[in-house]
Amino acid sequence: MNRLVSRKPLTAVVLMMIFATVSFHTPAYAAMLTTQQLAADNQLQTERTALQQRLLRADVRTGLLSLGVSPESVENRINNLSHGELAHINAKLDALPAGGDGLGTVALVLLILILLEITGITDIFPRL
Amino acid sequence: MLQFFRHLSATKGLLLGAPVFALLLVVGCSATPQTRQLAAHAPTDIAPAKTLDSTPFIPQKAYQCGPAALAMALRDSAVATSADALVPLVYVPDRQGSFQVELLAAARQFNRLPLVIEPNLPSLLGWIDAGKAVLVLQNLGLDWYPKWHYAVAIGYDLAAGKIILHSGEIANYRVPMALFERTWRRGDFWGMALLKPGELPLQQNPQTYFLAAAAMEETSPHADMLAIWRTGAEAWPEFPPLTMGLANYHYSQGNRDAARRGYQTIVEHHPEYLPAHNNLATLLMEMGQYDEAISVARKGLALAGGSNAALEDTLDAALAASANTGAGGSH
Repeated sequence: MNRLVSRKPLTAVVLMMIFATVSFHTPAYAAMLTTQQLAADNQLQTERTALQQRLLRADVRTGLLSLGVSPESVENRINNLSHGELAHINAKLDALPAGGDGLGTVALVLLILILLEITGITDIFPRL
Repeated sequence: MLQFFRHLSATKGLLLGAPVFALLLVVGCSATPQTRQLAAHAPTDIAPAKTLDSTPFIPQKAYQCGPAALAMALRDSAVATSADALVPLVYVPDRQGSFQVELLAAARQFNRLPLVIEPNLPSLLGWIDAGKAVLVLQNLGLDWYPKWHYAVAIGYDLAAGKIILHSGEIANYRVPMALFERTWRRGDFWGMALLKPGELPLQQNPQTYFLAAAAMEETSPHADMLAIWRTGAEAWPEFPPLTMGLANYHYSQGNRDAARRGYQTIVEHHPEYLPAHNNLATLLMEMGQYDEAISVARKGLALAGGSNAALEDTLDAALAASANTGAGGSH
């Protein structure tokens, strides 16, 4: 939740306004506890799930699209994620490791140049 | 050599010193305790060496080790698919890679239950010994210069100290275990094994299985959840959430009698697990058995020390329903 707040101030304000209008103890009705509610950590979280889910999905959709995922496949990919996974991706979209062998060429070239320079093969930085 | 160093200016000497210093730092934090432990005390409960020859090798295309590794893991679990078919499910173009959660999510769409294995080498070897290839996340670079990579662990050789991977463009890549421990540790020892519905997991804690099954049910409408819940409930009868998952599944399928038996089993053997009281009472109410519903809810509330929002609501509703129908509650 904290991460959501820091990422999306507007989302947080809207969330708070909506929660403020919801009384915490709803009128008596019997309800089955679903397996997914039980899998979620605590009761508060489950009360928020339906709304949070919609906001989360919108955030993750935006995030994946911005990383080049095609509009045709993004909906399917979001549907494949559980609530917990959506929250996980949303919180760390920029920091998640993405296995795929991407090697920063700039850093690599620099490293090679330094080694070449030190061993006296190049003299690109003569003032060193 | 001395001659060579003498020719270096002071600045160049510094430049050389920095990498050496960095190298020392890296070496300093590169101990491999798990490999050392395995070498000192070879585990006796697994074969000394094993290679899963049946796991197909699929070479990766540029940056696409995620789809290739997932395709191998799925094929290992008897799912006919290809790396190309998985690209739209897991590849993130601007990151030139794939996220772990999307690999889990994609596997579920093929009716396979993905389990994140316990994060250590003995667990990895155990899965391989049991015949399961494990998809692993490695950082082949350094913490501050990461080169993330997915591979599939298909074998090991304890005497030779090797892990055998299908990795990138190399089939049956024999990696020294210590080197693998380092690259895998930089990936937080993350590994994923796939179970067919009904297959028993290995060395896994029931909570992991429960959460994986709950996510499967939430996201994969065509998954064989009956087999998955039943297997879990039978493997860990002492862990109520799995029996609960099975009973809830029965309920969702309109199978009230089976659901009721499941809830009752938990209430009898694990009365401390309050959600079962709630769902049993709710189900009894739906079946018109108000007195029983009230009794179950009251018993649950007593065990909860009087405060449990769900059970209080259920009890109130049962009392109200009972009063409305004039069936007579136990006021």
